[in-house]
Amino acid sequence: MSTREIRIYQDLMGQNEVWARKTRDVIAQKRLFMINLIGAPGSGKTTLVENMVSHLAGTLRFAVLEGDVATTRDAERLDALNVRVSQLLSGGACHLEAKLVHAALIDFALDELDLIIVENVGNMVCPAEFDIGEHAKIAVLSVTEGEDKPLKYPLLFREAKAVVITKLDLLPHLTFDLQACRDNIRKVNAGIPVFEVAAKRNEGIDAWIKWLATQRRAVAESATVT
Amino acid sequence: MHEFAICQNIVAAAEVEYARVSPPPRRLLRLRVVAGGLHQIVPEYLTQAYVVLTSDSPLAGSALELAILPVKAQCRRCAWTGQIELPIFQCGACDSFEVDVIQGKELRLESLEVDTP
Ligand SMILES: Nc1nc2c(ncn2[C@@H]2O[C@H](COP(=O)(O)OP(=O)(O)OP(=O)(O)O)[C@@H](O)[C@H]2O)c(=O)[nH]1
Ligand SMILES: [Mg+2]
Ligand SMILES: [Zn+2]
Repeated sequence: MSTREIRIYQDLMGQNEVWARKTRDVIAQKRLFMINLIGAPGSGKTTLVENMVSHLAGTLRFAVLEGDVATTRDAERLDALNVRVSQLLSGGACHLEAKLVHAALIDFALDELDLIIVENVGNMVCPAEFDIGEHAKIAVLSVTEGEDKPLKYPLLFREAKAVVITKLDLLPHLTFDLQACRDNIRKVNAGIPVFEVAAKRNEGIDAWIKWLATQRRAVAESATVT
Repeated sequence: MHEFAICQNIVAAAEVEYARVSPPPRRLLRLRVVAGGLHQIVPEYLTQAYVVLTSDSPLAGSALELAILPVKAQCRRCAWTGQIELPIFQCGACDSFEVDVIQGKELRLESLEVDTP
């Protein structure tokens, strides 16, 4: 037997990256801001988007890509609110890949939009590994999950450009230490904005919407320059 | 659990590269992969996924060798660079949390070791 070593030196996410780049090109050209909501199952991602609908009206024109393993319930919830929504089925996978997102994205009338919201499959680990061409991964963490989660899932909180802490209305019933949670986020990713919301009570959404509008304006302005 | 998803990418990339090797090897002996510490890969889970995912592919029977690179950061305040201990992203000199990761996100297919005719 003779052995031979063949050097490859190749990025393992290369194939995903090809599609992520196509999406980046499209959203830059169309001056869209694109976010990727990532959080545990039930952390409140869809409820957050539902609550955003009325606040976004007149501010940003948006569409939603709903990622789920197999069901269409979340897309139906948004469809009921007359949101432009497209259902992505990951086919058993625990995350969305760039190719699937790209195919659905280009089906929207992108000239009529400012913001693309992707709700990833409920999972704090795998979606953080897969770039889908978004501007910003957003970590969504509910207060029922515990203040230690930023330390347990550092990749997600490190990759995130902002954190939305959800279900603040439940705080009186829990031992969740909000300040410790903020500190834990800072230890992993100092300086990223943290938004604290209670979507069920329509509280705390304004600052989050304002941040999105600012980000979208920055994207549109940088597109004008180049 | 993300080891399975990562391994699907490893196997897909390795199958393409292996098919390109000329002259066609008798078999693949070893696959070398480099992963940054930020991915928090549990080596045993990755190996188990590799066995399952290659069971009826040309890669079957090969060994997956994983090298993990420690996470390194650079401080924005004092320019210190060095290794950090996950999950705390903090400067080793001035204790600032304003640091940039300079190593630890890698995910790379390094090399194939083949049995040649
Ligand atoms: N009390 C309270 N409950 C909330 C809030 N937001 C969401 N919930 C509840 O939490 C549960 C899960 O909410 P969803 O919005 O479906 O969570 P999700 O993250 O989209 O879940 P998956 O898509 O399945 O991962 C539902 O029962 C919601 O009613 C909130 O602000 N306060
Ligand atoms: Mg949902
Ligand atoms: Zn420093």
